[in-house]
Amino acid sequence: MSAHSQAIASAALRPRARPSLRRWTEREGVFSWLMVTPPVLFLLALVGYPFVYGIWLSLENRPVAKPGEFIGLGNFIANFHDPVFWQVAQNTFVYTFAATALKMAGGLALALVMNQEFRFKNLIRAIMLLPFIVPTVLSTIAWMWILDPSFSVVNWFLIRWGIANPGPSWLGNPSLAMFSLIMVNTWRGLPFYAITLLAGLQTISPELYEAATIDGASTFARFRYVTLPLLKPVIFIVTMFSVIFTFSDFQLVYVLTRGGPANATHLFATYAFDVAMGGGQFGLGASIALSMLPPLALLIAGMAWYMRGEKSS
Amino acid sequence: MVANIVRSASRRDVLKIGGLAAAGSLLGAGQGRAATNLSFMHESSFIQTYDDFFKKTLVPEYQKATGIAVDYQLISVGSLQTRMATAAETGSGPDMTLCFFNWPFLFDDKLVDVSDIAEGIGQKNGGWYDSVREAVIVNGKWKAIPFGNVGQIMNWRSDWFAEVGIKDFPDTWDELLEAGIKLKKAGHPFGFELGHGFGDNHGWLYPLLWSFGGREVEPDGKTVVIDSDETARAVDFCRKFFQQTLLEDCLGWTDVSNNKAWMSEQISCTNNAESILWFAKKQFPDIAKVTQQSLNPQGPKGRFHILAPWSHAIYSFSPNQQASKDFLVWLMDPKQVERWYASADSYYAPYLHAYDDAPLWHVEERNLPYRDSLKTSHLPGWPAPIGRPQSESVAKYVVVDMFAKACTGKPTKEVIADAAAQLKQIFKTS
Repeated sequence: MSAHSQAIASAALRPRARPSLRRWTEREGVFSWLMVTPPVLFLLALVGYPFVYGIWLSLENRPVAKPGEFIGLGNFIANFHDPVFWQVAQNTFVYTFAATALKMAGGLALALVMNQEFRFKNLIRAIMLLPFIVPTVLSTIAWMWILDPSFSVVNWFLIRWGIANPGPSWLGNPSLAMFSLIMVNTWRGLPFYAITLLAGLQTISPELYEAATIDGASTFARFRYVTLPLLKPVIFIVTMFSVIFTFSDFQLVYVLTRGGPANATHLFATYAFDVAMGGGQFGLGASIALSMLPPLALLIAGMAWYMRGEKSS
Repeated sequence: MVANIVRSASRRDVLKIGGLAAAGSLLGAGQGRAATNLSFMHESSFIQTYDDFFKKTLVPEYQKATGIAVDYQLISVGSLQTRMATAAETGSGPDMTLCFFNWPFLFDDKLVDVSDIAEGIGQKNGGWYDSVREAVIVNGKWKAIPFGNVGQIMNWRSDWFAEVGIKDFPDTWDELLEAGIKLKKAGHPFGFELGHGFGDNHGWLYPLLWSFGGREVEPDGKTVVIDSDETARAVDFCRKFFQQTLLEDCLGWTDVSNNKAWMSEQISCTNNAESILWFAKKQFPDIAKVTQQSLNPQGPKGRFHILAPWSHAIYSFSPNQQASKDFLVWLMDPKQVERWYASADSYYAPYLHAYDDAPLWHVEERNLPYRDSLKTSHLPGWPAPIGRPQSESVAKYVVVDMFAKACTGKPTKEVIADAAAQLKQIFKTS
């Protein structure tokens, strides 16, 4: 007894010193606002303000180091007449859809495999996360060497096995360059998909599989009628995130091709940066960056709508 | 409980440290006003000895002479423009900065007029090269003091050229094409950047366009004239040149690519700055021995080179404008600047005639064409007066991509029409 219990007793007594304040903060209405206010302020300062400022910039003719001049939709009209803008839009869509589809298929497959019992399971799961953990710029520089025409490992094998000589120009040929970027993006994004889907898979009760097996469902049928429907919410969330990140990708393109050859791999983010920073046209750059918003918003709204439909049916 | 104490203690520490830091920065600012400190932003040079000389020799010398410490702030290669923009936009940063290309035009409003010291520096050093005036004189006012030109010329392998019977570098683009065809057949293709790098692509494609008589905009600065027979001939030539002499990979190259290809003996000719020979001499002496350098070939309308100036400007928000001017005058005095130039051999070709025959040019005779190229060098956008639109055109790779698209097989008419549409939008004359 003694010192220990006394300490507990005094600790229990202490809050009574200011009962009114404590009671006030514990009221649900007050407490929830207390909790929500800091993140909201944080978001307003670091996301809301730049976003609104971005919209404002896009409506201005605003050269670097010079005051802006309001021009309404002038920048957007200029983009509309810019052939490169449309090529950039097309590139971004191709890049996003191809990479997301590959990541989804590969990530799901990887998650299904990882969900099995095997030796060194945890170690292999950790290794799998590597592409996601390594800083993008660093891993992309490694890819720069893998895809380099003179020193490429891939080409070394192709030449050695007599498949192609000289090896293909992975970053020099416009179509191959886009293909290469999609591959690198998929490589980097796959673990995110796999680990998230794996978490989803582990929440599915084994009893459901047992019941399905007793009912005579095949492996594929169990996947189709048990796994897939229960995994759908997770697939939706992870796809939404992936689409947003892929659509606005910058680092990978900037390190590997800087949008070349002949704009074949320029995306909205890289083009906006070049115009705003290189060209010193903040307003025009902001309008290009902002052009990402409507398609992304539509895409996400569409997916949300689809998911709701699925849920109610 | 204990955790709480620790946490509150660390919070107090944070406040204390924050307070000290704030006080420190206030003191720093106070010192700045008294001009005992100057800050000078530079991008890391490819030539290590150049930055070393400034830090280890010039800074102590200036401090000894005036008591003013110069903080030489080095930033990584490729990030100068972003840093300059941040400083200009926020109104805080270094007193002085390095500028590239036509940037005095971009940051015009935020740079101090240095006309009063510019002509004096010129007179003291034999006069300025005319070509550099187009890069630093904005609306009649000098906005930066030119330093040196990181020019681009032809680098070629004399051993492989000799193998196909060529002793001297071809004088015209057509002759170079002929040589390239032979060399590619012999397993030694050319390698010229056609991708989205920042220098080596513009470095040969603008001179190519000009030497065929093509130009983006008339000297009136408004009329877009890229759609011309001259441009078409340049584009047709480039496509042929690409298909018959170059590696396909050039289309995806950035600025490091041709250096890598050169050092790994993949290519027999490229267009680069002096750094390629400098680096070869340090790391690949055998390649350096057979590396030759020559002026760009001439086309039907003459011989041209790219102007790639480094210049020094003073920010208008600096509280130390006069002290900065005094420093630049001291720096550009022959006693100092000659040694700083020489610390990089002739990598930064002086824009000052006093150095036309300076010892730095005779350290390596093969570098002499860089000096000779100054007379025929211009900024992208020439012959129109230089301004902001040229930056947008360069950032959008209008000219580079016009050629690159033709090389991927697109028809000449189409690629020129694309370029014309972009230029009209950039120069707002549609």
